Amino acid sequence: MLLCDFHIHTKYSDGSVELRKTVDLFGQAGFDVIAITDHVVNGDSYLGKLAHRFRLTINESNFDQYMEHIHEEAQRALDKYGMLVIPGVEISKNYASSEKSAHLLILDIKEFIPACLEYEKIFLSAKEQGALIIACHPHHTSEMINKDTLFLWKNREKYGKYIDAWEIANRDDVFNVISLKKYPYIANSDFHKVRHIYSWKTLLNCEKNADSVKQCIRNNKGVAITLFRN
Amino acid sequence: MELFWFCAVLSVIGLICYGLQIWSVRSTLGMKKGCSIVKDNACPADIALQKFTPPVSILKPLKGLDDNLFDNLESFCHLDYPEYEIIYSLQDYNDPAYKIAKKIKDKYHEKDISIIVERCNEGLNPKINNLIPAYRVSKYQYILISDSNVQVDKDYLADVASCMSDPDVGLVSNLIRGMSGRTFGSVLENLHLNSFIIGSVCFLDKFLKMPCVIGKSMLMKKSDLKALGGLTAVKDVLAEDYIIGRGMHEMGKKVVLSNHVIDNVNEYWGFGRFINRHTRWAKMRLKIGGIKYFSELVGNPVFISAVPFVYEQTQINLIFAMLVSVFKVLGDILLGKKLHTKMNSFCYLFSPLRDMLIGIIWFVPLISQTVIWRGNKYVIRKDSRLFPCPETGIWSIKYRFTDSIRALLAW
Repeated sequence: MLLCDFHIHTKYSDGSVELRKTVDLFGQAGFDVIAITDHVVNGDSYLGKLAHRFRLTINESNFDQYMEHIHEEAQRALDKYGMLVIPGVEISKNYASSEKSAHLLILDIKEFIPACLEYEKIFLSAKEQGALIIACHPHHTSEMINKDTLFLWKNREKYGKYIDAWEIANRDDVFNVISLKKYPYIANSDFHKVRHIYSWKTLLNCEKNADSVKQCIRNNKGVAITLFRN
Repeated sequence: MELFWFCAVLSVIGLICYGLQIWSVRSTLGMKKGCSIVKDNACPADIALQKFTPPVSILKPLKGLDDNLFDNLESFCHLDYPEYEIIYSLQDYNDPAYKIAKKIKDKYHEKDISIIVERCNEGLNPKINNLIPAYRVSKYQYILISDSNVQVDKDYLADVASCMSDPDVGLVSNLIRGMSGRTFGSVLENLHLNSFIIGSVCFLDKFLKMPCVIGKSMLMKKSDLKALGGLTAVKDVLAEDYIIGRGMHEMGKKVVLSNHVIDNVNEYWGFGRFINRHTRWAKMRLKIGGIKYFSELVGNPVFISAVPFVYEQTQINLIFAMLVSVFKVLGDILLGKKLHTKMNSFCYLFSPLRDMLIGIIWFVPLISQTVIWRGNKYVIRKDSRLFPCPETGIWSIKYRFTDSIRALLAW
């Protein structure tokens, strides 16, 4: 089984660890597959503007540099640790209301997708790139500081068909509603700080390459979750 | 005023002792590479003996993820040494370290690496429990017990083994250097390893000729260990390294401190872990050293010099405490430079804080005898012998009381 984490932030957005150190941290801990998913924040809200002001987001101008850096690190990680690193982003639509806010992971992204686009356009753009779409922390979380992002769950009837999998667990939280609805699932750390490495993770029974990993998640066969602890 | 002069005298003695520690570290490091018994004026025959490279079994007890575990284990695959085997030993397939061990074995399939997973409950020391199965399957007469949190360079084994060229040598251990602190707890840990710990080890070796073995790296012969009763003889002690070293010394074997410095990578330690480890080590030192433990307080001039100021907040008390701290920080910087620790100079400002914490920790063993090690709780007695901690009955009350205090302080 491959030990995986598909939701990891670095200093490219609001993570506290540099990309290289993040890759090393997961490599040193024996992970098989990780995805780097820094925030791409919408600029059409007050909260979004703040993120842009404090450079807590990937934008069109630094996206290529971000991708190049990830590819560079991916090669190093493969050579050194035998670990697959998948490039991704977390499209973050932040609004004052939790019910309007949504975060979604685009895994194996190739081209920049602005977060201020309409949902359908974001989904279609991701599909065109062959990327995987994951709805993250879709329900109420125990986090005191971060706001809930409930939009996708509230509108699952409309948007569910575009979403390849839902986060059934995020860091310390488990969302049982995902299992009740029998949606495809994965579990991630939402890594921002070093201690977040000890959290819920995904185990996949598939080959260690991006296509097999995406296929395995889409089919949701051979997927398990585990609480990674030292 | 009497208190001031009393503490001032103790602090000056402490600073002088620290100066001697710095000198002994510099002296040990300044020696020819290898071990402290190899002199600069060694004859050609001695030099030939230094090329002594017997086959070695490296025993690596693994439990959980240490900082930089992959690199630590990988560094042993790059040793420039003719013949050696590496045995990773774990209690459980579900241990996260198993995955790393497996990855290293797969990556270096040409190396003689084996992984032993066996639940062994022979004793109370979890490291010895981990080592017993590895020891059983080891092939060679020379065994190197090496902790999972150390990283070495390619000359390490050749340097350490060369010390064994003298048949009277029973055990070789190494100097340890704390590296790569990125969190507050790691910085404190590395500062402590690179001043008090390394200074004390070299001081004891140079001036008192006392064997002070740190178990992170111990090379010995199976026959010598067997003469001491084997690993099972230390299965119930916390300081198995010290006890083995002392046993070798009493058996008439030389216990050698190699001046090959090995890295202990402490990158992401939490503050609690620092406190927990040094509380445990302090308890261990009290049980081993007995009355000698009290000399440690003198060896902490920063703490001693702060006592008059705590008692009476006068200008002279403050200036004195600050002066002592400045001297101590300068000493730490000097040692850090000599050890090439690459520590950010700013981090040395935490040195007085670390000394104060260690000073407070010094008192803990006087009121508590329990230790928590790798998730297990024990009572520690003479020579660091471990006993299971009673969980029920009248004798458990005081342990439950200390537990509740610890929980309150979230250690």
